[in-house]
Amino acid sequence: MRITECFDRGEFVVTAEVGPPKGINIDGIVAEAKEFLSGITAVNVTDCQSSVMRIGSLATCKALKDAGLTPIYQLTCRDRNRIALQSDLLSAAMFGIENVLALTGDHTKLGDHPQAKPVFDLDSVSLLHTMSLLEQGVDLGGNQLVGEPPKFAKGAVVSPCSDSVDVQLAKMERKVMAGAEYFQTQAVYEPEKFIEFMETAKQFGKPVQLGIVLLKNAGMAKFMNRNVAGIHVPDEMIAELAGDKEKAKSGETGVKIAAEIIKACKPYCQGVHIMALGWESKVPEILKLAGI
Amino acid sequence: MLITKLKDKEMIASLLKGKVFVINCFGCKEVHFPEEEAKALQKEWADEGIVTGVLTTDYICNPENLPLRLERHKAEIEAADAVLVFSCGVGVQTVSEYLAPKRVCACCDTYPLPGGQGVTPLEYDCDQCGECWLNLTGGICPITACSKSLVNGQCGGAKNGMCEVDPEMECGWERIYRRLAQTGRLDVFKTPVHIHNFATDLELKQE
Amino acid sequence: MENYTKYKLKGSEELRPFLEGADKIFVVACNKCFKEFESVEEPDLSEFLALTDEMGKTVTGSVNVDFLCNKTLTEKNWQSLIPEGTENVFVISCGLGVQTVADFDGLPTYAAANSLNYRGHHGMALTKKACDACAQCYLNVTGGICPVVDCQKSLLNGQCGGAKNGKCEVDPEKDCAWEKIYQRLEAQGRLEEFLAQPVQTRDYSKINHKVIADFVKASRESRLDGYYGGVHPSENKELAENIPLVRFPEPDVVVIPLSQHAGAPANPVVEAGDYVKVGQKIGVSAGFISANIHASVSGTVEAVEPRLHPTQGREVLSVVIRSDGKDIVDESVKPVENPDNLTPDEITAIINESGIVGMGGAGFPTYVKLKPGKPIDAVLLNGCECEPYLTADHRVLLEYADDVIFGLKVVMKAVEAPKGIIVIEDNKPDAIELLTEKTKDIENVEVLSVKTKYPQGAEKMLIKRVMGRQVPSGKLPADVGACVCNISTVKAISDAIQKGMPLTERVVSVTGEHMKKPGNYIVKIGTSVNELIRYCGGLTQEDAVIKMGGPMMGFVLPDTEVPVLKSTNGIIAIEPDPKQEVACIKCGRCVDVCPMELKPLYFQKFANEGKWQEMLDYSVRDCIECRCCEYICSSKIPLVAKIKTGKAEVMKLLKR
Repeated sequence: MRITECFDRGEFVVTAEVGPPKGINIDGIVAEAKEFLSGITAVNVTDCQSSVMRIGSLATCKALKDAGLTPIYQLTCRDRNRIALQSDLLSAAMFGIENVLALTGDHTKLGDHPQAKPVFDLDSVSLLHTMSLLEQGVDLGGNQLVGEPPKFAKGAVVSPCSDSVDVQLAKMERKVMAGAEYFQTQAVYEPEKFIEFMETAKQFGKPVQLGIVLLKNAGMAKFMNRNVAGIHVPDEMIAELAGDKEKAKSGETGVKIAAEIIKACKPYCQGVHIMALGWESKVPEILKLAGI
Repeated sequence: MLITKLKDKEMIASLLKGKVFVINCFGCKEVHFPEEEAKALQKEWADEGIVTGVLTTDYICNPENLPLRLERHKAEIEAADAVLVFSCGVGVQTVSEYLAPKRVCACCDTYPLPGGQGVTPLEYDCDQCGECWLNLTGGICPITACSKSLVNGQCGGAKNGMCEVDPEMECGWERIYRRLAQTGRLDVFKTPVHIHNFATDLELKQE
Repeated sequence: MENYTKYKLKGSEELRPFLEGADKIFVVACNKCFKEFESVEEPDLSEFLALTDEMGKTVTGSVNVDFLCNKTLTEKNWQSLIPEGTENVFVISCGLGVQTVADFDGLPTYAAANSLNYRGHHGMALTKKACDACAQCYLNVTGGICPVVDCQKSLLNGQCGGAKNGKCEVDPEKDCAWEKIYQRLEAQGRLEEFLAQPVQTRDYSKINHKVIADFVKASRESRLDGYYGGVHPSENKELAENIPLVRFPEPDVVVIPLSQHAGAPANPVVEAGDYVKVGQKIGVSAGFISANIHASVSGTVEAVEPRLHPTQGREVLSVVIRSDGKDIVDESVKPVENPDNLTPDEITAIINESGIVGMGGAGFPTYVKLKPGKPIDAVLLNGCECEPYLTADHRVLLEYADDVIFGLKVVMKAVEAPKGIIVIEDNKPDAIELLTEKTKDIENVEVLSVKTKYPQGAEKMLIKRVMGRQVPSGKLPADVGACVCNISTVKAISDAIQKGMPLTERVVSVTGEHMKKPGNYIVKIGTSVNELIRYCGGLTQEDAVIKMGGPMMGFVLPDTEVPVLKSTNGIIAIEPDPKQEVACIKCGRCVDVCPMELKPLYFQKFANEGKWQEMLDYSVRDCIECRCCEYICSSKIPLVAKIKTGKAEVMKLLKR
């Protein structure tokens, strides 16, 4: 199923994400996804996130699909040139994996193989454009595909709370132009900023899913403030997490914060994307608290 | 124009087999040459008595001048088991080709240097990509100003305007955006999707 | 010679969309680099102007610029180039030039050319591309053949298997690099070694923005430090810098040329057979720009006849004196009474009488300099000694610090300067420390340590560095309120006043890697260079090059039977550097190092073509002949000789 169909039907689309392990046994994450994420629309599978080498996103998507879930294939331009990217897209389509989220990808220097050659032959915009071409039965080299062309739900990302929102919006516009059909956002902790962003972003007419990263503790929040692009956790939230360490540890505080943000933003967006970073078990609770 | 840096001491030590003849190329010294380190190392070797001779000159990459210079040291080169060259990769290869099959070794690693003219490197770069993007980017090169050489906008990895790879480097695309906003040219964000052409050596094709 | 020009004009179909929306255009075209220097103006500009013409665009102006990416020089003239009413700038250059211009002002700037894509770097002789600057040289494991450039796939562990008949699968004209590597290693008997080495992988993190940015920053700082251009030749001062001064043994014969200074030769006032004493005047100044000459030994004049001159390369009238070894001082030599009460005019009179000239090399009569006729803000005492090898001034600073300071104060008094600055390069920390200590209680004298860079000791560079003032073309230091004196010169001034001794001896460094026993000597003027060398144990190598002065501005001495002059700061014996002049490749290095901000590459072109008017237009007369351009020239062009020819021809032209 393409999640664009859900948006078209006017559903409030809920997605979450899982990160594949560094190894070949993925039974654990499949079981967990089945248990906690079956109720939502689809599950993102990250592509060697933070440039750390892991089992492939496509293989994990296939396993999730076999387990009855709807995967969203995250695809970055970091490790593959245009030949590999197109080939992998065709492979995904053959498996019936049609939800693809196009990303440029972190730089290789940030991960666990800093010596690696960064590829970036294409970027998120040209990757979306390439997907649009493949859907028309033509590849990037201008050659005809044999047989039925693939059909994708082409997703992209945007950071509404970035320190440079206007630059973000310019790129978002290019992504739309290149064929992006929906957006998932970077984590939002300041609903007012998100709402302001949506005021401008709605002109593109594409559904936007509010991004939520579940806060585990004050340390994590501070770390993200220092190091993660497009994320800013306000001081009050950090204080809240630091205030009751027990509640934070059990996840209660993080879940509450997440639910509040969702409630505040829900009228302005078309869905929510929850990045629980290993705490997938909390997803149902967040949704319940948020009234979804 | 290139930058040369001495290889690791152990690496260079592993090249020492028997007697050596040393060549220093000072041609690009004004750009960069590890003169003091090289001198110190060569003094150690001389004290050990393994140096048959030293030629310190410039532009050994110049094949017309190299033979003239090597001529004076013919006997010293013959007496050596290896010729150790302190220069960029071009110099090592010119010597190695001229002296083949003599064993010629490189004692330096070569780094690229922005700016191609004169001896003063430039703060900004042109990567000679062969498909100038500057018209679309307000005169800021996305190939060199962006760590990922993206041509359709920023990757989203910048934090407080600084690049995810090097927090001391400004995000190239944020710079481009500001420049375009200043000159009223934000409409270039509406141009069609851009894709690199990596077909190399354009100059060959043109001939 | 390969053509490595970096750009090509974009096609009209590519240019049209950008031209469509733009009018009132100013066009800048770079004169290109890394190609044969055929014509001054490249054709791209007129091709572009034909297009703007066809499209009916208003062009406010156009200009050809050399090395557009040379920010310092381009910026200098930029504002005056741009015509009023310009709205858009189109730049015909590689990306460097476009970005240089785009950074200048707010005008929309367009690239009218594409850079050409080269994989790999070529040498400075424009041969093949040979190095990719990968920062992890593999040549040691590949027998000196680069696998990164020569193999289309940059493979590091052997061939891909795609080669057919030894030719690459990508380019059938190219040999498979790995087959070449195999053959080379086999010929060297190194196959075992190759097979035994560990698997090679590239480390792409070695080259990153930070590494390069740090290099660039350091390099730019040193290049633009104090003044534009200059070079950093190997100093080689360690050969003699720590050897204390020794008085050179009394020579048997001295040959004292009557022309040891800028201006008219002195007129002899002795003849063969005369007995002379040390300090006795033997030649009198022959005009405003001239200098007295004194006997440096006591003894008998053997001849007054033409003798070979070391720096003029021809015979000039000289006084030959045979020493009686007694060193009897002339009666005229006596200390000045009450030196503190001397008036500026009295000081200059003594200096004139003592035959003191600039002892740093130029030999300009010092008394002329000390009558500037303009207010002087500071006297700069030039203790840079920026010429490699030379250590004479360094030793004088260390061993005659008090005399030097005395001399400086005399000069300050003569030109009525409120301030004296002793400028010493940072490669002489002991001298800096000593002079700082000795001047700490003198209110208006300071010691300034400056970063070593040649030709810092040149007047104009020193003034720029220390006072931040630019001596305009054709003007003198006094025009910007400066007076520059050399260390040995003020020491001579001190002797003239404190001892009454005219300029009859000086300190000479006898050094160089081929001088057996380098040293620093107090030498009587007129002593034979040959004797000096013999005293220093002779040469380690017969074909060593002997120079009077430093390696940069010194004079080659084909015959060493020549005398030490007032301006002889050193005699050096250095390694010869056989070289072959090849064609200019427009690398721009000479422009980058010229401290006078000239374009030396044009001087060689115009000299070859006999275009003297053009030579004049390119300000050849501003050249200070520091030889930086020749030092850096990758084509080994004898630029200074061509410039000298040019200057002589330009003088003829102006006289006409």
